[in-house]
Amino acid sequence: MKTKLTSLFAGLLMAAAAILTAAPAPGWAAPVKRLIFASAGFHESNRFWTIARPDHLQFEPFWETLVGIDPKTGDYIPALATKWSSSPDFREWTFHLRKGVQFHNGYGEFTSQDVVHAHSLLIRKDSTATLRPFWATVEEVKPLDKYTVVFRFKNPAMPSSMLFGASRSGDLRMTSKAQWDKEGIEGLDKQPAGTGPFQYAGRKTGLNILFKRNDNHWSGNKVEFEELEFRIAREEATRLALLLSGDVHIADLPRELHKDALAKGLKRFQSSLAVDWVSVYMGGLWFITGDKSFDPKAPFVNKKVRQALNISINREELLKTVFAGRADLAYVSLWVPTSEGWNSKWESRFKELYAYNPEKAKQLLKEAGYGPGNPLKFEFWAFTEPGESEGPAIADALAIYFRNVGVQAEVQMHDWAKIRTAYRKKQSKNFMWPNIIGWRPADQGVRNFYISKGNNHHYEDDFLEKTFGEVAKSTDAKKRGDLLQAIGNHIQEEYADIPLFWFRNEVFANPKVVSNWVYPGPAAGRSSHFEGIKLVQ
Amino acid sequence: MPLQSSTRTLPWYAVPWIVDGWQKVKRYPLIPLAILLFMLVIPAIFAPLVAPHDAFQGSLSHRLMPPFWQEGGSTEHILGTDKLGRDMLSRIIYGARVSLTVSLIAIFVGGIIGTALGLISGYFGGWTDAVIMRLVDISLSLPTILLALVLVAAVGPSFGTVITVLIVLLWARYARLVRGETLAIKELDFIARARVAGASHTRIMGKYIFPNVVNSLIVLATLQVGYVILLESALSFLGAGLPRAEPAWGVMVSDGRELIVTAWWVSMFPGLAIMLTVLSLNLMGDWLRDHLDPKLRNL
Amino acid sequence: MQRFMAVRVLQSLMAILVMSMIVFGLARISGNPLDVMLPIEALPEDYERLEKHWGLDKPLHEQYFIFVKKALQGDFGQSLKYQGKSAMGLVAERLPATLELAGFALLISAILALPIGVLAAVAKGSSMDTAAKIIALLGQSLPAFWLGIVLMWIFAVLLDWLPSSGRGGLQHLILPAITLGWFQVAAIMRLVRSSMLEVLDSEFVKLARVKGIPEWKVVWKHCLRNAGIAPLTFFAIIAGSLLTGSVVTETVFTWPGVGLLVVDAVRSRDFQVVQAVVIMFAGIFILCNLLVDILYAYLDPRIRVQ
Repeated sequence: MKTKLTSLFAGLLMAAAAILTAAPAPGWAAPVKRLIFASAGFHESNRFWTIARPDHLQFEPFWETLVGIDPKTGDYIPALATKWSSSPDFREWTFHLRKGVQFHNGYGEFTSQDVVHAHSLLIRKDSTATLRPFWATVEEVKPLDKYTVVFRFKNPAMPSSMLFGASRSGDLRMTSKAQWDKEGIEGLDKQPAGTGPFQYAGRKTGLNILFKRNDNHWSGNKVEFEELEFRIAREEATRLALLLSGDVHIADLPRELHKDALAKGLKRFQSSLAVDWVSVYMGGLWFITGDKSFDPKAPFVNKKVRQALNISINREELLKTVFAGRADLAYVSLWVPTSEGWNSKWESRFKELYAYNPEKAKQLLKEAGYGPGNPLKFEFWAFTEPGESEGPAIADALAIYFRNVGVQAEVQMHDWAKIRTAYRKKQSKNFMWPNIIGWRPADQGVRNFYISKGNNHHYEDDFLEKTFGEVAKSTDAKKRGDLLQAIGNHIQEEYADIPLFWFRNEVFANPKVVSNWVYPGPAAGRSSHFEGIKLVQ
Repeated sequence: MPLQSSTRTLPWYAVPWIVDGWQKVKRYPLIPLAILLFMLVIPAIFAPLVAPHDAFQGSLSHRLMPPFWQEGGSTEHILGTDKLGRDMLSRIIYGARVSLTVSLIAIFVGGIIGTALGLISGYFGGWTDAVIMRLVDISLSLPTILLALVLVAAVGPSFGTVITVLIVLLWARYARLVRGETLAIKELDFIARARVAGASHTRIMGKYIFPNVVNSLIVLATLQVGYVILLESALSFLGAGLPRAEPAWGVMVSDGRELIVTAWWVSMFPGLAIMLTVLSLNLMGDWLRDHLDPKLRNL
Repeated sequence: MQRFMAVRVLQSLMAILVMSMIVFGLARISGNPLDVMLPIEALPEDYERLEKHWGLDKPLHEQYFIFVKKALQGDFGQSLKYQGKSAMGLVAERLPATLELAGFALLISAILALPIGVLAAVAKGSSMDTAAKIIALLGQSLPAFWLGIVLMWIFAVLLDWLPSSGRGGLQHLILPAITLGWFQVAAIMRLVRSSMLEVLDSEFVKLARVKGIPEWKVVWKHCLRNAGIAPLTFFAIIAGSLLTGSVVTETVFTWPGVGLLVVDAVRSRDFQVVQAVVIMFAGIFILCNLLVDILYAYLDPRIRVQ
């Protein structure tokens, strides 16, 4: 009996082996019919007015915007609008639309009615769009004729904000009004019609989205592959594995894995411009006169403490290790040279004020009343989101630097929602947290992060309130620039937060399939311009 | 030296009780005990003495060094280092302390609560029994991991949260076991005699019933330590367990997950530690069960 | 018998109700979903607007009653994260994937465990028995998530025989199913082995042997049938452990089932979905327990009397 059973087992094993090996091994064929991009995932829905800006990646291939972005320089270029201008007081913006653009699936020509419709979606009651507060300040979207439309604003809309919102960086996606009238929201959920170089072919929640090449695109450019798929793979190790096995052709990988991906022969494509930045924000710095939540005994309130924490960090080493050298130093949070109000002197000031000096840090802490018998203690709340895995690494690394100067920072993992609730409700005075976010116009950034009206309460004071109040009122470019620069100076000198790095978007691709991909970075979804991917022939 | 030979050849220090002792020791499961000792007990108690490096502080320039037998490794860090340059071996040793503390506290508290409720439930019967047993049912039907996830999302990861979750999940098994045994024991004669003699309920439960239940409790507890360690590491893996500051084994496996292709040792060794510890605990539990109370074969 | 069943059913319903309260409370305490849904640009008036839109501004107990009322009609609310989809609808959409995984896992573990368990019982004390014991122990000692990672590393990365994630054909099913089913192999095997041991010792087996019935028939036909009753209780526990085990396995392999759905939902504070999933899991578990209890009561009259 024993031998009978053993042979039965053996038979089963052989059958299993046969099934397994009969599965075809994935091949590395080039050029491919369907190009597959593995993404860490996004909130999946076609209701673009409920989707945050970074997750607009899923709309990139098929829903276009009025203004485009040059893949190499990042400049604003014509897309669905060929020309635009504003009134002198920046209250009215006129867009001239491109003629003869056809919607997918036969929904007719793109006209100014579609622009009105797109805007109306963004200000719906259930809208959680990133730029809704901006779009809500539009009093009226008036179609002057079939190819001209005017945005009339309550308050002046500066070019940086208007173009940011109306471009590929923003969320005003041109969708077909004709389809909406005919099929309602169900049609948009099922098979939305856009004007892009790809058309939406379908999606399986949690799995993938499929796009088909649009052979009648207004640009006339020929995309080199027939189909594009976004495969959702939230685990970093999985994305790398998929790339190595040839199951996908492009994927974004955390910096942790870059060295090994390169070692295994994968090719790296980075965005033309830096697009995301990371700073660490300290809670409790609510210096506006009369703020009842302010606690003078909170750990970060003393400027010497903030300075000490900043200069205890060896940013060069952090850059080389956690970021694998693939980032640039941020001299002031929020600003890049092309931002409004940039001060070229910030670089040299940064080298003075924020230079790595652990001995001085210890001295400053002593002056602030801390020492070996009475160490400075606070919490570091870190989080990780799919696709943004650097948070804990930064937290851990900074905790080590702080420890070296006698500071006890306790790293705690929370989820993002909890951290947001805490800083929104001003419950954050005892902890610091990493803020990893994409570029936005300087005035919007200041309003979000350093002003009491915003929801992110870490550093606020009377000077910033007053100065920003004037920025909001001014439409003179030079005056605004000066005011914003003064704000930046103040933030840098007061050590309002811990600026760290700017980095580009980087993806890895199978070198046997993909030969080149030029994309700017500032597009809403970071990875963009899929139509420009060049395949190996 | 064969101890079974005649007493004439025994050395002068081989007094009878040593001989007996040695023969008893041979019957014990030595290998799992040894593993447990080295993987769990000694590291947990003597961590600061045994660990070669600081488990919390690492040097960023030494990050992701492979184990010493691979190229790039060194005997300075035998099992390699993690993302932040922390020595793997030291972290695993401290991790034993974390795992052991969490599971012991959870089992102890859960066991006390469960035993007490089980005794009350089995002894008094009636409505008390019905209510407690329904609580047990509900507790056993709670999807453990899901509730932990939601709880941690609500309250934040901390020692307290994890232990609370574990206690809520563990007590029911003890309650059920003790109740079953109590039901059987309370019908016995000597209990009736005690009642007649005027012993109070508490006295009967504590002095007469409880000692007979202890054996099963020990077996269950030993088997549960392994289960608790697995559960805690699964929760830590999902991010719903211990705070990151602690070098918990589950947290370490989770940290190394994205590096599995490139720095396999960051996940492998903590996982191996979990496996060996739980394995030897299960072996111990099995042995205990076979020797203390074979009735529990189906536990 | 009727009374017994009625009592048990009532108790199960109570259990589900208590479960729903616990989950509801916890999910609400866990934080404001708007902090996940709204961008950082959002103003206080945006929070107010959406709170009103989603009914989050009502007091907690009122929200609970609305929830229960709708749930009884089968409406578990709308998902906050996946706009336009109902919570139960999402669960129903993802359930087949989890059932497929769990079913296959159970199949694998049964196919492996049953014969080994029987053989171990028959050849008690031999090397086969020891091997079975070792396999059982390993199964109960390996952390599932670690096993999944190891399997993925070996088979998907090093050897490139199988895909590392996602759902597709049979090849996608194998690694996750092994990871999920591994724990069950041990449990089922030990169970079968101990039941068989009890039965093999019994009188009627000795009688059958004396009668000259071939050994294999004795083992597979007679013993197994009788030994099969005990594992029945554990079927409920196994169903429960498969469902909760799927949470970890689906996370490791990104298998688009209910487990992954709920992990995402917790993270994005999509509590309608969290409630729907937890209640469904608990419901299935309680149902299994109920069925098993009734079956047992049917087969073993002594229990009914309790």
